[in-house]
Amino acid sequence: MSFLLPKLTCKREVDQAIKSVAEKVLVLRFGRDYDPACLQLDDILAKTAHDLSKMAVIYLVDVNNVPVYTQYFDISYIPSTVFFFNGQHMKVDYGSPDHTKFVGSFKTKQDFIDLIEVIYRGAMRGKLIVRSPIDPNNIPKYDLLYQGI
Amino acid sequence: PVSRRPEHRRETARFWRENRAEAALRERCLVPAEEYERFAQALERALAEHQRREEERILQVTSVTSPPRHPPGLPWPRLTALSPQMAADIREAERRQRETVQAALQLQPEPEICAAPSICRPPAGPEWDSPCAAEQPGPSGRQTGPDLAWMESGKVLTFIGHQETEGKGNVHTGAKPPWLTEEEDGSKQQIGPSYEEFLKHKEKQKLKKLPVERVGANFDHTSQTSDSWLPSFGRVWNHGRRWQSR
Repeated sequence: MSFLLPKLTCKREVDQAIKSVAEKVLVLRFGRDYDPACLQLDDILAKTAHDLSKMAVIYLVDVNNVPVYTQYFDISYIPSTVFFFNGQHMKVDYGSPDHTKFVGSFKTKQDFIDLIEVIYRGAMRGKLIVRSPIDPNNIPKYDLLYQGI
Repeated sequence: PVSRRPEHRRETARFWRENRAEAALRERCLVPAEEYERFAQALERALAEHQRREEERILQVTSVTSPPRHPPGLPWPRLTALSPQMAADIREAERRQRETVQAALQLQPEPEICAAPSICRPPAGPEWDSPCAAEQPGPSGRQTGPDLAWMESGKVLTFIGHQETEGKGNVHTGAKPPWLTEEEDGSKQQIGPSYEEFLKHKEKQKLKKLPVERVGANFDHTSQTSDSWLPSFGRVWNHGRRWQSR
């Protein structure tokens, strides 16, 4: 269902999105449009985008188009979702090794909605890192590799 | 004076009642008869003294005039004692003379002065034989001469000419003010902010309601960044300010 969500195709557009979205959480899904895991995540994002429209703005980014960001955000697994608020990166503790991004898909739409709400509230209070409300069992497991270590 | 005393007491009592003042003060405010007599006499003396001084002054003014050229038909005025009313009239006439002469001197020096005495005479009053001094702005102006010279020097005021309106009228005649006569103005300039500015203002007001300590409150959304700009990643790569890792 990725055709329902807006896409960003180059670094300049990503920069523009990060700089221009104001007072709302910016959700950037890094992945590939026809990857199965991405399809699942995109489905959840598309279905909740309207309800979260007052709190969040969601964009899809193909990792092939923005190698700079793929390296900068250290995107090794797709889909990876990065959150911003007013141009500032937001970290979330999911109980997983990497706090800077959400790796994998969500189990239910409600999980994603809860997560967005927690990020939004934390940002309004000035917190750069928040704790995820999602049950850790529902978080996809992965090994965090750094340069093959 | 004696008949005034009971009335004085009554009025004082009434005033005290109406304004609810302290009764003790009232006795002190009553004026005894002998005090009143003293006051009346002092008043007469002062008045007489004042009259005398005024008469002296007028006599001084009239004494410096040259032989008058009084208009035909009027008898030579007798300089008897002048009442305070006459003295006030004289002063008023002199003042008007000065102003007329000054205005006349601004325009044309000589020919106007002859007309000035005829202007000054009507205010003097029909039943009063005007002393010749009132009719002579020029020669009698020995005392007022230096005054005139000071007033026309131009250091205090600058005369810029009579404002001729060629029939259009001005504020005194009740003509239409210039800010209401803008018919020939083509473009409709709007006063105040445009609609977009108003909307932007409303957005700004909403922004003010957000919490001040939120993340990125001071983030400049419209800053122009270069191609190699990357957003702050919270010191993940050990790059950036320390507060970004909070």
